[in-house]
Amino acid sequence: MEFQNTKCECGHQNPTQTILCEACGKPLHESDNETSVLEMRYDGVARKSQKANPSVIDRVWNFFSSVKIAVIVIIITLIGASLGTIYPQESQFINFDPSTYYKENYGTIGHIYYLLGLSHTYESWWFISLLVMIGASLVICSLDRVLPLYRALHKQKIRKHDQFLRRQRIVYEQQLSNAMHQGDWIQKAQKALKRKGYRVYEQDGAILAEKNRFSRWGPYINHIGLIVFLLAVLARSIPGWNLEYYAAFPHNEPRPIENTPFYLENEKFTVEYYTKEEMPEQFAKEGRVIPKLFETQATLYRCVANCDDPLAEPKLEEVHKHNIRVNEPLKYEDLMIFQYDFDLTPKLVAVKPNLKNPKTNEIYGSFELNISKSEPKYTVGPYTLELREKYMDFDLGKDGKPITKTPNPNAPAFLFMIKGPGLEETGEPYFYFPLQKDKQRFREDVLNQEIMKKIQIDVQSMADVTIQESLSYLNVRIEKALPYIWVGAGISMIGLVMGFYWQHRRIWLRLNENQLLLGAHTNKNWYGMRNEVARILRETELEVDVNAIDRGGDKS
Amino acid sequence: MNILEFSQNSYLTSFFLFCFALILYVFTVAGRRKNQEAHLKKWGTISFAVTVLGFVAQLAYFITRWIGSGHIPLSNMYEFMSFLAIMIIAAYIVMHFIYRSAALGLFAVPLAILMMGYASVFPSEVQPLIPQLKSIWLILHVSMVGASEAFFAVGFVAGIMYLVHTMRWDDTTKRKSQIALEFSLFTVIIILGYVVTVFGYRAAGYEVELQRTVEVVETIDNNTQISNKPDTISYTLPPIFAATNSKVVGDEKFLGMQLPLMEVPAAMDSHKTARKMNTVTWSLMSGLLLYGLIRLIIRKPIAKALQPLLRGMNPDDLDEISYRATAIAFPVFTLGGLIFAMIWAQEAWGRFWAWDPKEVWALITWLFYSAYLHLRLSRGYHGEKSAWLVVIGFIIVMFTLVGVNLLIVGLHSYAGV
Repeated sequence: MEFQNTKCECGHQNPTQTILCEACGKPLHESDNETSVLEMRYDGVARKSQKANPSVIDRVWNFFSSVKIAVIVIIITLIGASLGTIYPQESQFINFDPSTYYKENYGTIGHIYYLLGLSHTYESWWFISLLVMIGASLVICSLDRVLPLYRALHKQKIRKHDQFLRRQRIVYEQQLSNAMHQGDWIQKAQKALKRKGYRVYEQDGAILAEKNRFSRWGPYINHIGLIVFLLAVLARSIPGWNLEYYAAFPHNEPRPIENTPFYLENEKFTVEYYTKEEMPEQFAKEGRVIPKLFETQATLYRCVANCDDPLAEPKLEEVHKHNIRVNEPLKYEDLMIFQYDFDLTPKLVAVKPNLKNPKTNEIYGSFELNISKSEPKYTVGPYTLELREKYMDFDLGKDGKPITKTPNPNAPAFLFMIKGPGLEETGEPYFYFPLQKDKQRFREDVLNQEIMKKIQIDVQSMADVTIQESLSYLNVRIEKALPYIWVGAGISMIGLVMGFYWQHRRIWLRLNENQLLLGAHTNKNWYGMRNEVARILRETELEVDVNAIDRGGDKS
Repeated sequence: MNILEFSQNSYLTSFFLFCFALILYVFTVAGRRKNQEAHLKKWGTISFAVTVLGFVAQLAYFITRWIGSGHIPLSNMYEFMSFLAIMIIAAYIVMHFIYRSAALGLFAVPLAILMMGYASVFPSEVQPLIPQLKSIWLILHVSMVGASEAFFAVGFVAGIMYLVHTMRWDDTTKRKSQIALEFSLFTVIIILGYVVTVFGYRAAGYEVELQRTVEVVETIDNNTQISNKPDTISYTLPPIFAATNSKVVGDEKFLGMQLPLMEVPAAMDSHKTARKMNTVTWSLMSGLLLYGLIRLIIRKPIAKALQPLLRGMNPDDLDEISYRATAIAFPVFTLGGLIFAMIWAQEAWGRFWAWDPKEVWALITWLFYSAYLHLRLSRGYHGEKSAWLVVIGFIIVMFTLVGVNLLIVGLHSYAGV
């Protein structure tokens, strides 16, 4: 082990790896003839990570404490993130097969993209690891620097070594004329500095003037905010903290919100479009349609009884009403409900057909047929109708047999076995289509040719048909991490503003007899610093060339 | 004259004022007089005054359009790019009051002119707001993004100026950076070429329809049938490229040649991609032509020709201006481009972050500038390297703004191209 003498000539014992003496600021490892601008980062103190004989933990710490490593991780992360934008991510689709989608739409390159796992870049282990590494780097880099820096700035010596002053970037040296009394000049300088907002400390003909030290803490406060933000994002995976699902809410029908005691009813859905007068002429000519408003008038209920009993009607209690629009979600406790989509295609809900004799027009009675909640058996007068089959979206398959195309009630059809007077003992089949268009399309009269001579199922008027007009798709969310996310972002912003819109400026002055020596340092904005120093000196009746006092920065 | 017409007239006025200011700046910086300092002071002030007049006209455009349309004019590409031009001038005015540099105007004003020209390529009609955009966050998010990107732009301008100023043209080991710098300026010329071409053809009222038949599979009343239907698209630039099997409707020719000249590769076979490719080809061609003409006149690289104009500047100051402008922009971008964006996304879509391409690219911009700001702390990252970083940074900004809309479609697609 190499022994390093870290004791400064002023008598202060410095930790190893210290660049500038913690007390007087004299450069420790350089010759006295050196004139280049001093390295002033962290005031030349040893960072926490810079110790002799590092252990394994120290080595990990040292790795993450490097700004260079932080920058490399940031660059890798941004390149990785950009790869994820080449093709759409899997998370943007609902119900699709990624193993074929990318090949079909983007060819072989798309398939390779999928195989490399880039189709879910942001959920991949390597991307998340990069984010975790950024988090680790944020914590370690900050701790490594903030404590030594705090110590250094907390106990600054007013009288610094000549070499420390002379090797600042802004330096001014001048023999004061004999006419000017030393004490008077110091007084004047102090006043001028105070007018510029400096805190001035004096000690035997030496001055330390400092302002906006708080701006040095900006980066660390920003990092704390980012850590809070990242932790809040991680916290989203706590069970119950995050809920997201999309559901259809039919008109006037309270629907349960999964995993919550709440029910939501869509009382009215409105969509409005801009009129021709409200649009530019060109748009109106092209016949463009621009939506103006989507709104679901919603009522939120809490279920207070019979909630899990499928047979009993749940007991609901109204808790909240809100008109949900885009940008104006419903918010109740943790629940947030957003307008997502809508469907205005009318859907049949129920019909109330009659059973009649086509010859005599005698009506035997009627029955309520709910399309989605049909019953297995209906009794109408002397007749019984047994439901054998139900098709929500009726069609004929390739082999001529009836099938259901989709589970949506687009073309409902019912196959009844009807028994009663005048019909066969075992019953006769009857295909019933509630919608007029389907009756014609599938030739109801042909399918039921025989039985329709004896009996007919028919609706009398539109009053016997219940149609649901709108379906509003809403996005139901719970996001308990949200407040923490905003707090993190807020802290981060405060740190950024502190760090970027103020600069930490220090001016050191020394009078050795009548010889004035001034050194000045700022953490950014040297242009402003040198102008300020020149103005202050002018107020003490010293003429200064602004450009001459700035020795220029890092030119390497 | 109604208020929206007044708004458009103000826009045009500001455009011409900036062109005039640019000429004045050239005269200020290039004109040699016996008393150089007095000349700089006098003409620098005049140029700046004309720029401020142009800025006032821009503000008049913005305010009257806001009143006339009933919503803040930040809802489409035309309005946003125009706003960016306003903000670039505002950022320049701010930097002028700090650093008092006429040469900065010589570079910042043309960038604003270019942005205004580029904005005018997009449809300029007032559009009614779709429900998604009806929010206070439209004002907060978009205006702060515009303001921060303008400061990034000024940082970029100062970076380019630094590189132009310090380039050593006699040093053959600097070949790579010489080419890279000239290429950066060439890229700007391409955008100029694109704007000039679009306006040239628009002024001539050029429009041609391309048509091809496509097979459409239709299901009508349960009968699946394949029918041939015409698929038309209109071009405002002569079609060099077109989708396969498309023909020009009517008898339009270009320099006596039958149009379209070429068909796009099969992988890009759609009317819209073909039209994009056609536009890119035209921009490149007109950019090359323009660049060739400039080279023919000045007989040396543009960057080299610009160098003497910056004689009076201190490169350290340019380096600092570019860093300062970027440092001013960064917190504003963080707040407007990420935090407000997240709040709005949460309010509108119920998700504060959805990894939408526009979001990802905003994050990439932010990560890039934060890497830059950390590198500025290290030795050796002042001056040339730092200048190159802000140039790359601004390219990322422009890609996020324009490139993402052109090449990738996401939730921000209504921002429209």
